[in-house]
Amino acid sequence: MDNKAEYLSSQGRALLNRRDFLRQSGMTLGGIALTQLLAQDGLLAADEITVSGKTPIRPHIDPDNPYLPRGSHFPSEAKQVLVIYCPGAVSHVDTFDYKPELAKFHGQKPPGIPEVTFEGPTGNIAKPFWDFKPRGKSGKMVSDLLPNLGGMVDEFSFFHSLHTQTSAHPQGENFFNTGFTMEGFPSFGGWVTYALGTENQDLPAFVAINDPRGLARSGKNNFGNGFLPAAYQGTDFNAKNPPANLARPDKYTDRDDKAAVDLLNRLNSKHLELFPGDADLAARIASYELAGKMQVSVPDVMDLAGVPESIHKEYGTDTGTDLKREYAKNCILARRLVEKGVRVVQLFNGSDPSGGNGITNWDSHSDILKTHAMQAEIMDQPTAALIADLKRRGLLDHTLVVWATEFGRMPFLQANGTGRDHNPDAFTCFLAGAGVKKGFSYGESDEFGFKAAVDPVSVYDFNATILHLMGLDHERLTYYHNGLERRLTNVHGHVVNQVLA
Amino acid sequence: MRYLSLILALVAVPHVAAVDFEQDILPIFEENCFSCHGPRKQKGELRVDSRAHLLRGGDSGIPSLIPGNPTESYLVELLKDSDPDFRMPFEEAPLASAQIALIEEWIAEGGEMPGQMDAVLEEEETSDHWSFQPVERPEVPKIDGAGPIDAFLLEAMSDKGLTPNPAADARSLIRRASIVLTGLPPVPERVAAFERDFGANPESAYESLVDELMSSPHFGERWAQHWLDVIRWAETNGSESNLYRKNAWVYRDYVTQAFNEDKPYDQFVREQIAGDSLNEGEAMGFLVSGSHVPPQSVGREPTAIRQARADRMDEIMQTVGASMMGMTMGCARCHNHKFDPITITDYYSMTGVFQDIEFGGRRPELAEEHPKRKAAQPLWRAIADQRRILETTGGPWEEDWGGYKELLFDAVTTKKVRVSFLTRNMKLDEIEIFGTEERQKNLAAASNGAVASGPEEMFGDVRTRFWYVNDGEYGAFGLQLKAQEESEEKPWFEIAFDQPEEINRIRLSSNREYYFETDYQTINIDFAFSSYRVEVENENGEWIEIASIPKIEKANENQPGRAAAIAEIAKATETLSTVGPQVSFIGRFVEPVVTRVLSRGSPENPRNEVPPAAPLILNGDLGLDSRAPGPARRLKFAHWIASEHNPLTSRVMVNRIWHHIFGMGIVPTTSDFGEAGALPSHPELLDWLAAEFVDPTVMGDRAWSMKSMIRMIVLSDAFKRSSSPSKEGLLADAGASLLWRFPPRRVEAEVIRDGILLASGSMDPSIGGKGYRIHNVKKTYAQWEVVDNHGPHTWRRMLYQERMRRVDDKMFTAFDFPDCGQVRAKRPVSTTPLQALNLLNSPFVREQAEQLANRVVQESSPSDMKQQIRRSFQLILNREPDADELAACQEVAKETSLAQVCRSLINSNEFAFLP
Repeated sequence: MDNKAEYLSSQGRALLNRRDFLRQSGMTLGGIALTQLLAQDGLLAADEITVSGKTPIRPHIDPDNPYLPRGSHFPSEAKQVLVIYCPGAVSHVDTFDYKPELAKFHGQKPPGIPEVTFEGPTGNIAKPFWDFKPRGKSGKMVSDLLPNLGGMVDEFSFFHSLHTQTSAHPQGENFFNTGFTMEGFPSFGGWVTYALGTENQDLPAFVAINDPRGLARSGKNNFGNGFLPAAYQGTDFNAKNPPANLARPDKYTDRDDKAAVDLLNRLNSKHLELFPGDADLAARIASYELAGKMQVSVPDVMDLAGVPESIHKEYGTDTGTDLKREYAKNCILARRLVEKGVRVVQLFNGSDPSGGNGITNWDSHSDILKTHAMQAEIMDQPTAALIADLKRRGLLDHTLVVWATEFGRMPFLQANGTGRDHNPDAFTCFLAGAGVKKGFSYGESDEFGFKAAVDPVSVYDFNATILHLMGLDHERLTYYHNGLERRLTNVHGHVVNQVLA
Repeated sequence: MRYLSLILALVAVPHVAAVDFEQDILPIFEENCFSCHGPRKQKGELRVDSRAHLLRGGDSGIPSLIPGNPTESYLVELLKDSDPDFRMPFEEAPLASAQIALIEEWIAEGGEMPGQMDAVLEEEETSDHWSFQPVERPEVPKIDGAGPIDAFLLEAMSDKGLTPNPAADARSLIRRASIVLTGLPPVPERVAAFERDFGANPESAYESLVDELMSSPHFGERWAQHWLDVIRWAETNGSESNLYRKNAWVYRDYVTQAFNEDKPYDQFVREQIAGDSLNEGEAMGFLVSGSHVPPQSVGREPTAIRQARADRMDEIMQTVGASMMGMTMGCARCHNHKFDPITITDYYSMTGVFQDIEFGGRRPELAEEHPKRKAAQPLWRAIADQRRILETTGGPWEEDWGGYKELLFDAVTTKKVRVSFLTRNMKLDEIEIFGTEERQKNLAAASNGAVASGPEEMFGDVRTRFWYVNDGEYGAFGLQLKAQEESEEKPWFEIAFDQPEEINRIRLSSNREYYFETDYQTINIDFAFSSYRVEVENENGEWIEIASIPKIEKANENQPGRAAAIAEIAKATETLSTVGPQVSFIGRFVEPVVTRVLSRGSPENPRNEVPPAAPLILNGDLGLDSRAPGPARRLKFAHWIASEHNPLTSRVMVNRIWHHIFGMGIVPTTSDFGEAGALPSHPELLDWLAAEFVDPTVMGDRAWSMKSMIRMIVLSDAFKRSSSPSKEGLLADAGASLLWRFPPRRVEAEVIRDGILLASGSMDPSIGGKGYRIHNVKKTYAQWEVVDNHGPHTWRRMLYQERMRRVDDKMFTAFDFPDCGQVRAKRPVSTTPLQALNLLNSPFVREQAEQLANRVVQESSPSDMKQQIRRSFQLILNREPDADELAACQEVAKETSLAQVCRSLINSNEFAFLP
């Protein structure tokens, strides 16, 4: 056994040392089993074959606890990531991507505008529905639609030349969040928790905070595990709704619960004697312990009663529409989760089209003036407060913030004359926080914001970049599935080094 | 591996061209291309100094040089590409436009390369990859007292100096065999009987147990679940609206029954691909098992519509490739397969086989003796009888078929049909016009050359178009017309055929897709049209009315015989829709179009035409061309896969069976037998099994019998071995891939749920039929929500829980139940705190723990707590508690309740693991 351990990496030896439980319950066999399991990381013949020719880096996952923190591929400032996702497609030309040419061509249909886009026939160019002003020290032009986020531009790195592969929302959400337009691939958060585990063992490694109105159009895909083990799916809850089955049934008392769990542990320990050192059995025993901790810590983190009034005010939980108040609470929850070391927090600002009272997400095929304004009222203040709060608490030093949407909107109107159709060829997202340049903009769309023009950035590039910021090589973070070493970035993607601080 | 040999013929061809290769082109190539694609290095299998290579192309599978055609030559496309990921020279500045122009001119003139004009690249389409070699039955090692399977396994163990574990005890064995074969643990009475028989004669006791389990109808349920996983079958579409697929479950029942009837695997394969020709239409749910984006969510851009069709074809390719061929065909969608000798041409040729399939529903083709078809026959006769009555009374009539209305009239020959509405608004998703010649051919379809037109000023929505009404898509975008304000003119449209046609039936519908193909939507699916007239144009260009709804209604009033006949038809169609073959989501047929290679996988880059075929490396030439009818394509392909000479088919299936029995395959990558897949741990055993499968010698007397194969494996010593760990075994082979022990593993979500229901006595064991629902009725663009995942209506086997793509059931999704997005050859097994929470706190477990406790009390003496606890152990764990356990449980039961003891047992590791 001891000489076997020599073959382990230092990480592997560290794992062995921590396994007190197994030491007590059959150290020798347990040690052997673990040694072998670690060796199995490289068991498949397929392991060494990737399309890019790079060797996969397999996370060393403790069979006892798949969530224990693991090292990144290379050192990085960002240890955690907060993704603020805006389903429905935010109009870049009405928010962050200033295009004075639109005013010049307002009401005209210059050549080059297609007859039909996603939703049907096209209309004329329309100038931004909100005025743009220079903001912050950098003087970045941001429209009056998002004054609070506008006030923080000095923290952000904008990507103005993003382009995607589809102009349909669910495929766009799939593509942005899983790297594929099709169904069934692991989400970004799934990949990150698979690679890195998490720091706080009492809370889920990956939390999806869904919009008060419900899930976004791709539903669980956005935070699912795809073909990764179920351990890496996001746990969804928000300030209002706890995770399913977290609380013990009302009918039971604490005493019932304790008696049942104690008995369970007794039965399991006895059973383990028949299979000394069996890692799968031990892992399942450990999972009940983790569950018990989550039952305490999740309600605790959800409970905003102790949050000072000033913070509530700053986030805006007490002003504006009900939806905004709800979303503001989700933002406070997001900050608390980050603070407690949750590896990935994905916060949604919008649902599928059935959710709310008239406005469900950023989709604005008609009357964009009204629909974008309603959505911005919900998003702007709480999101800005969240980022500011993270900064104030020093959390931005090790947290990457991603603000994203699946595509942009057209610089021209639809034939109805009031809305903008989907634009897959140019849109804007931004990054902030750990490892990211401040007050910076990368890439440009053309003079109308119609297509990415200077330094185009694909969604693959964007995802490669955020993985890089998390210390992960997007070409080596792979998982063998059905004949291929699958990646978040498929066989594409280049890190945009220019935005790295 | 592909072997290339270059045959050079050194014949000088005198020719005068403006661009000279050696002077003008070669220097450009030398400077810019040779470092990667020259004599020394051939990245992507391409060298530009060889005309033969250029003609063939590199890994893209697209010819780099097409003499006389610079536009189509891939070389030019890459030189000009705006995408830096593709543009050549790679990661260098693009060539000067003058240089590119020169190359174009050179190609336009024939792309001559002196001395190489007759050079041909001979490609020998053979491979030395193990799984492409013919299956030859290896000799069985001679080991006393061991059957063939054990002989191979013992030999491999002795090579490693491993001693196999002794046999498992009776209780472990019956629990293991029951779960592996039927997915259900045994009931206590059967365990007791088995233990008794086993004591007397282990061999015969076990053999009769296996036979009993395999003849149980629950056997088919268990094995159907495995097959459904592989093809990620589900009852919703996935994507935005994730619509329910109405009657898709008939396919699930087909699979269950196939396993229960021991349908030979070759027949099982053929029926799933070409069931329409074999009277097993329901089997074809296989082809449409993947997800798809329905037309209305694709958008209206023609490029997006083409892309969506290509994506649907790719889903079919993945299904067929992964499940039956063990090949990752999808890798060759954009370029030649990186690891396997599958070319982009192979990929598109194989899509050609399935060109007549579209995601949707149809009435399944069934055998004459099928009960549904028998039930339908008198109804069809009744309809025909009534139609004859109507024909004799004269004049057209209209029938209501629920999803569409059908207008029937005397045959008339015309080039143009006009439908005029008598209302100011109308909406149609589709018109179909049929004639007397080919009765099922929709003459109105755009794909048959028909064109729709009408008054554009009446568009009722800026997005509507006339062609939506005959684009072959139901329920997607419809034609919506509205009379203009202050105008008397009402909506109308015309269908023009490209030649005169004899017609006698017209079908109109507003939302046929939602009526026939989906359910549980809040949407209104009524007809959005009512009264209309139909005219046809005669040879003189005059419009002749052939039917009008007001006149039909009047005729019905005046002739009671007509009204009665129409009522009879309505009654028959209504009954037909419940007892006859119903429209089921098993795919529908479309006219196959010419299949082309799509360069880089994009429908916007169609290249050369390819015939419907299987991969050439596997002798896949089916002798077909683009004119072959769809069903014939699939039938030929089905015979190709299900041939005993196909080296993959039997290997892949016996390995799959092995995987489901032992928890790991002889080839661990069960759906990838290519170069990127894993090698077999026991190659000879695999080939022996594959040979035995198609040509039985000891497993039984039926070729391709899945039951015989499964039976032979579970009767092996390897299956019967104890799962206890041993130091020696773990050191040499921790994963037990050599099977020195039976590898213990956590059971699937279904086994946990079914086992709980069985123990508590709640289970409704009925086989097949519509599944149970745990979700809501929703708006089209809304997410499914779990409404009730635990009530009595859900107390069936979990196989019958409607399989919803990417919907969390708030219970078993956490147990690695697949999201049905991608093919799932094997489920990962993970352990998470969410599983623990679900199994401790869910209403399902709470209620079942109580049911179980109630049952136990009823079946024991009410005051005998010890007896009650013993009974609980028997029901959940199939064993007696020992003294310690008994005491601990008694204490808990006294302190709290028996239900808490049951709750602990349900959560125990012992219950969750295969012993």
